[in-house]
Amino acid sequence: MAKYGMVIDLLKCTGCGACGLGCKTQNNTDDPSNGQTFNWADYCESYSGKFPNMKYTMYPTLCNHCTDAPCVSACPVNPKAMYKKDNGITMHNEDRCIGCRMCQRACPYSSNDINADAGAKYSVISFNAAGKETQAKYKDSSELFKGSTSGAELARKSGGTPPYKTEFSHPDYNPVRGANKVEKCIFCEHLVQSGHKPYCTQVCPSEARVFGDLDDPNSEASKLLKKHSSSAVSLKDNKGAMQKPDDGIKPNVIYIRSYAAR
Amino acid sequence: TLNAFAETRTGAESEAAGKWIPNTCQGCTTWCPIEIFVQNGRAVKVRGNQLSKANDGYCCVRGHLILQQIYDPDRIKTPMKRTNPKKGRKEDPKFVPISWDEAMDTIADKIMELRKNNETHKFLLMRGRYSHHNTIFYGHLPRMIGSPNNISHSSICAEVEKMGSYATEGFWGYRDYDLDNMKYLITWACDPISSNRQPPNSIRRLHKVLDGGTVAAIDPRMNNTAAKAHEWMPVKPGTDGAVAVAMAHYILVNGLWNKDFCGDFKDGRNQFRKGATVNEGDFDEKHTNGLVKWWNLELKDKDAAWAAREAGVDRAQIERIAKGFAEAAPNCAIWYGPYMHPRGSYAVMAIHSLNGLVGATDSEGGLVTGMGAPSTAYPSFAPYQDDIAKANAGQTKIDQRGYLEMPAMARANPGTGVVCNNVANAILDEDPYDIKVAIGYFNNFNFSGTEGARWDKAMAKVPFFVHCVPMFSEMTYFADIVLPSALHHSEDWALVSSKANCYGHLSIQQPVIERMFDVKGIETEVTWLLAEKLKDKGFSNMYDWLSKEYKDPETGKHPSNSLEFAITATKMRSQKAWDPAENKDYKGDRPNGWEDFRKKGIVNSPRFTFRQKWANGFPTETKKFEFYSETLKKGFETHAAKYNVSVDRVLELTNYAARGELAFVPHYESPEDVRHGSRREYPFDLIDMKSRLNREGRSANNSWYYSFKKCDPGDVNQEDVVQLNPDDARKLGISDGDMVRVTSTIGSLTVKARLWEGIRPGVVAKCFGQGHHAFGRIASKDFVKAEPRGANFNEIMPDDYDRITGSTARNGGFTGVKIEKV
Repeated sequence: MAKYGMVIDLLKCTGCGACGLGCKTQNNTDDPSNGQTFNWADYCESYSGKFPNMKYTMYPTLCNHCTDAPCVSACPVNPKAMYKKDNGITMHNEDRCIGCRMCQRACPYSSNDINADAGAKYSVISFNAAGKETQAKYKDSSELFKGSTSGAELARKSGGTPPYKTEFSHPDYNPVRGANKVEKCIFCEHLVQSGHKPYCTQVCPSEARVFGDLDDPNSEASKLLKKHSSSAVSLKDNKGAMQKPDDGIKPNVIYIRSYAAR
Repeated sequence: TLNAFAETRTGAESEAAGKWIPNTCQGCTTWCPIEIFVQNGRAVKVRGNQLSKANDGYCCVRGHLILQQIYDPDRIKTPMKRTNPKKGRKEDPKFVPISWDEAMDTIADKIMELRKNNETHKFLLMRGRYSHHNTIFYGHLPRMIGSPNNISHSSICAEVEKMGSYATEGFWGYRDYDLDNMKYLITWACDPISSNRQPPNSIRRLHKVLDGGTVAAIDPRMNNTAAKAHEWMPVKPGTDGAVAVAMAHYILVNGLWNKDFCGDFKDGRNQFRKGATVNEGDFDEKHTNGLVKWWNLELKDKDAAWAAREAGVDRAQIERIAKGFAEAAPNCAIWYGPYMHPRGSYAVMAIHSLNGLVGATDSEGGLVTGMGAPSTAYPSFAPYQDDIAKANAGQTKIDQRGYLEMPAMARANPGTGVVCNNVANAILDEDPYDIKVAIGYFNNFNFSGTEGARWDKAMAKVPFFVHCVPMFSEMTYFADIVLPSALHHSEDWALVSSKANCYGHLSIQQPVIERMFDVKGIETEVTWLLAEKLKDKGFSNMYDWLSKEYKDPETGKHPSNSLEFAITATKMRSQKAWDPAENKDYKGDRPNGWEDFRKKGIVNSPRFTFRQKWANGFPTETKKFEFYSETLKKGFETHAAKYNVSVDRVLELTNYAARGELAFVPHYESPEDVRHGSRREYPFDLIDMKSRLNREGRSANNSWYYSFKKCDPGDVNQEDVVQLNPDDARKLGISDGDMVRVTSTIGSLTVKARLWEGIRPGVVAKCFGQGHHAFGRIASKDFVKAEPRGANFNEIMPDDYDRITGSTARNGGFTGVKIEKV
C-alpha cells in the first residue's frame, strides 16, 4: 500500500508554464475546445490587494488524487472506470468509461464548461465529446497557401497523430484517448512504474514539485511536508479557495511555503 | 458511436523506447543546450542538455514549444516565387512553388546583374536570429559579392544595455550572475525568470536568493520576479536613472561604498555630504576612475527625497534597497534589462555604476562578464575576393550609422553599431543609395521593427527580395523568392555559444529528425547553392572559396554538395572543442572526437574565475572601472571631430540633455522631453513587455502559446490584452474585458482591456508577440484576409533611437498613448 501525492514548494515555483506544457508533450493532450481545457497540469492564479500592495500567487494545479475522491464515488460504471489504486493514484480506465461525465460534475477541481463557470481557473477533468475528432489539427488536410503543408500531411510524414505523440503503454490509458471519454492526470504511472518521476516533476526547472508516497515518513515528500507543515495548504476548488490538506476530501497535492516573499 | 478504443492494451506500464538527441534552443537569447526525445523518427519531448552546467539539464516553457514549430501545419515546404508584381502589406504575392534550382538560378542572375553594373554595394543581407555560421552567410558572403551591407537585428533587440557595462568597465555584452552565492539581487527593468536572460538558470536559483537573501524588483509593472520579490518599486517609466543616482548618493553619504574597490579619503573622513563639493585630491582611488568627479558633477544634490518625487516612488524604499544592496556587497548584483529608450545609454550607465560602487562586478556572489567556449576560426575568404567586390565592400553602409545625428557607437566606436530599424528610412530616402537586391533570413522586421509601416513602404520599393524563413510572415508579403529554411533546433547543422551560471558552452545544432520537406540550412547550404549557380554564370570566386578552404578535419575531404558543406563547416568550426589534439590543454570539457561531441552536444567551459579584472585592470581607456568614462568620451570626441563640431553639438542633435563633462558620467536625464505625445493628449505611458512564452516573435502559430498565456501575470489565455490599472480604467468608464482603442502620435490599435492592480496608474502594459496578420492560421485571425489576431503595438511605437548606440527605442514609456473605450 502507498499513497502517492505531490508537495509543491511555492517559494521555488515561478509559475513558468513548464509543468503545464511538459505534461501536454508527455501525454499528448489535445487543444482546448468547447469548454474543455485538456490541460492535465495547469495554473490557478490568485491575487489580492490594490496597487502597489498587490499580492500574487500562482498555484500549479493537477489532479489531487484525493483520498476520498468524489469522482470515484460518482462513477456509475461497475467495475468503476474511475477507481483508487492501492498506490493511492485515482486511476481512470478509458475502456470502461462511458462518457457520462458524472466524475467531472462531482470533482470540485473541474468544470463541465470552464467558459461558463465564472471564476473557474482550471479543470482537472476534460471530456472528449462523443463524435469529437481528437487531435483535429493533425487530421485537417487544408493548406493555407500553395507551397505550405497541412496537419494531415505532417501526421502522415511523421507517422504520428499528433506528430509529437509520445508513445507509452498503460493498461488503463492510450497515448491519445478516444471520443466520448473523459481524461485526466494519472500521475504518469507509466513513468513511475519504470522508476521515473511524473513528467511535470521532471521538467520543473526549480525542482519545486516533489512526488512521493505520503504514507512513507521517509519519503522526500513526507519529510518536506513535515518540515513545512505550518504553511501546508491545498486547493479546495478550481476557483482558488484554499483548505487544510486533511480537511474534506483530503487532496494529496499540497503546497508549502509562499510564492511571494512579501 | 462505437467506442473506437474498446480494446485497452495490456502489458506493463512504460514509455516506448526513444533517444535523447542534443541540440540548442534559441527561443530567447539564453541559447540553451537542450535534448530532443525522438521515438520512431518523431520529435516528441524536449529537455535541457543533461550535461549542461548553465541550465543543469532544464529548459523553460519555450523549449517545449519547439515541438509545435517542427510540426506546424503552415510550414513552407518548397521554394516559391512571386507572380503578382505589386507589393504591399496585404497584397497577395500569388506565390507558386518552384524548384530550388530555379530559385537559386533567379537569385544568381540578380547578383550577376549587380556585378555587371558595378553596383554590388546595392546588395543587402539582413539577419535576424543566427548561429555561428552567420559568419559565412552574413559575414563573408556579402563581401565576396561586394557589399558592405550585412545588417543585423541586434539594434532592435537589446544593444542599449551593453553601453551600461561598456562605458563603465569596457564590456560590450550581457552579464552573467553567481546566484548560488548572491545575498542581494536587484532586478531592474528586467524579469530574468520570464524572458531573455537565462530563464532556466534564474527560475532554478531565484529561490536561493529569496530564501537566504533579498530580492528587489524595480519596474513599473509587477512582473514575475516582482511578484515573488521582497520589494517591488513601481518606478515611473523612464525615471530609473533618478533612482539609480539617488542610490549612489545614499551609498556615498553613508560610507557604504566598497573601499577595497573604489578607495577612500586620505584621512578616512567621509566628505560626501549632500550639497558639498569634494576636493578630488582628498580621495585615493584604487580600481575606479573619477568617483569624486561623478559626485561633484551629478550626485551631490540628488538624494532619495529628490528621486522619490522624480520617479514617483517611496523615499524610504529607495534608501532601504540602497542600504541592503551595499551591505550585502560584494555578494550582490543589479540584473538590468535592455532599456531601449531614447536616453537609455545614460540610464544603464547609472544602474551599472552601482555594481561598481559596491564592488559587486567581477565578484563571487556578484556579476561577471562570463565565460566563452572554444571554437576554430573560419577560413578566410579574402584571397578569393575580386576587385569589384573589394572596392564596393568598402562603401558606406546603408543604415546611416556614423552620420552626425546617429553616432551608433558599438563599444564606443562611432559608426560601428548597426542601426537596423533605420535601414527602412535609408531605403526610402535612397541615402546613401538605393538597394536593388536584398536577402533576409530568420527575421520579420515589418513585424518586429517599431513603426513597421516604414518597412512596408521600404520593402515594396526593393525590386528583388529573397526571404529565407520557415513560415509566411509579414515580411514575406514583399518577397520575390521564398526559400524554406530548415529549423535550427531540429533539422540543421550549426553551432551556438552562450553562457549562464558562470559557465560558458559551445553547443551543437544537428538534425534530430529526417527533413519532412525540401528545406535547407540557410547559413550554409544556401551559401553553397548560390556559389554553384554563380560559378555556372562565370563568377566562380565564391565556389572556389568554399570548395577549397572548407575540408573535413578528419577525412581531409572537400565538400561536394550543400549538405556536405554544412556538416564540414560545423566540424571545422568546432574542431578546437572536440579534437583531442587541439583540446588537450583545455580546462573545460574535452570530448574525444567529433562523434563524441555530437553525442554529448555540448562543451562546458571551466567556471568563471573571479577578481582577475580587479587584479589586471579593466579593458577601458584608464584600465579602471570608469565612473568618469574616458572610454565614452573618446568615442564622442572622435565622432564630433569627424564632423568638425563640438561634443555638445552632437549631444544636442542626438536628443540628450547633458552638456560638457556631465556627458561622460552616469547621470539622470528626464524622459519627458523625448516622450512622443504630450501628456495632455496622450496621458498614458506605454510599456512593452516580453512574454515568457515568446520564442522571440515566433510562437504565435502554436496553440500551446494561447493555452498558457496567463502564465504572464495579468495576461489571459486565448486573448491579447492591454493591462490597465483599475483606477485609471474606472475614470475612463472602462471595465475588464472591454475593447479599447489605444492611440499614439502615429496610429491607433484596438485590443481588449485587462484591469490589473499590478500596473502603475498612468501606465499601460502590453506583451509583444501577438497581432500577426500573417505567419499562420492560428497566429492570424484570418490569414487569407490578412486580419490580425490581437494587436502588434510595434505599429504604434514611433521610430526613435538611443542615438549613442543606434538602438531602437521601445521601453521606458517613450510612447505616450490615449485610451478610449470602443
